[in-house]
Amino acid sequence: MIRAPLSITSVLDDATDVVSMIAPWAAVVILTALPYRFLQALFLDQLFEVGADASHYGNLLGATANMIVASILLALWGRAVWARACRLAMSRASAPGREAWRVPAPAFASYVLTASATILAGYLGLFTVVGFFVAVLFAGLAIGTMELNERTGILAPFRIMVRYARTLGVPLALIFVFFCALFVALANLAAAFGLGIWLAGSIGGIDAPHWQVLFGSGNRRYWLVLVAGAIVLVEPFWIAANVVYVRRAGAVESGDDLRSWFEELQRAS
Amino acid sequence: MPLHCYQHPARPPFARCMSCAKTLCQECATQWEGIWHCAACLGARRGATVRRSAKASTAGAIVLSLILLYCSARVMVWTGALIAGLF
Repeated sequence: MIRAPLSITSVLDDATDVVSMIAPWAAVVILTALPYRFLQALFLDQLFEVGADASHYGNLLGATANMIVASILLALWGRAVWARACRLAMSRASAPGREAWRVPAPAFASYVLTASATILAGYLGLFTVVGFFVAVLFAGLAIGTMELNERTGILAPFRIMVRYARTLGVPLALIFVFFCALFVALANLAAAFGLGIWLAGSIGGIDAPHWQVLFGSGNRRYWLVLVAGAIVLVEPFWIAANVVYVRRAGAVESGDDLRSWFEELQRAS
Repeated sequence: MPLHCYQHPARPPFARCMSCAKTLCQECATQWEGIWHCAACLGARRGATVRRSAKASTAGAIVLSLILLYCSARVMVWTGALIAGLF
């Protein structure tokens, strides 16, 4: 039921409801994103390792970059399944069944195209901070509008994304909220690891001080893995919020929100 | 050639479908790409064209995605090396 006006709070409220409805499906998006995120962490670790001599290690970095690109396809499929599950849960107000696996081929092909373009734009825009955030905005819209693509096309998926980017306020607010959520998730993960080591220290046979070195703030790899883990945790909510935003913005545009409200009033009277 | 349309026996023939060779009256005949067709053959032909264009679009999208992903991998290395060089 779409009734509240389109705003960041209403989008987040609906996204929370959707995620709680289809929580087990989050395993798909998390498991498929793990190789991608941890390979990104490995790439950054290699960059820190080689430092200013990075230009001499093109083969090493290139091989990791190729693995990252290969793992992106798996991650994109996981996101597509999750986005479809979100959309089905929203329209039925119940958890979807096996049909969530059946992502329409044109929608998935269009999503791979738009996601590839935004990933490239994101890497190109790393130097200009604004460019990177614009790429993040369009990455969210790419997954949100995925199922609106009934036919595969080269330009059509981008046109749909641009149409939903016209009301910039909500997507930008979503980026800000999830950027903050990323830090919260990071802090929680770090606390969870700390608690785990502290509890393990009380069990005989586990050498806690050694583990504290591994999971300590001085270990660069530990922090990279934590950041990757935090992104993986936040990602399902981010995708759900974008799916909800696109559906709500579309409902406002087409008048579906008023129609469903009117039907509910008629039923109530 | 029959002296009436295959669907309207009262009407005189106007053209012949170039796919199924049926005789057509002016109402039943449709010219597409300079060739006369009956409604059924035209529908089948248009359906095949739409399927062909959908396949071409999908193939185009897949090829373009792979090119973009390949470029992403290269840009990732260049950007990473440049940023690492700054520190």
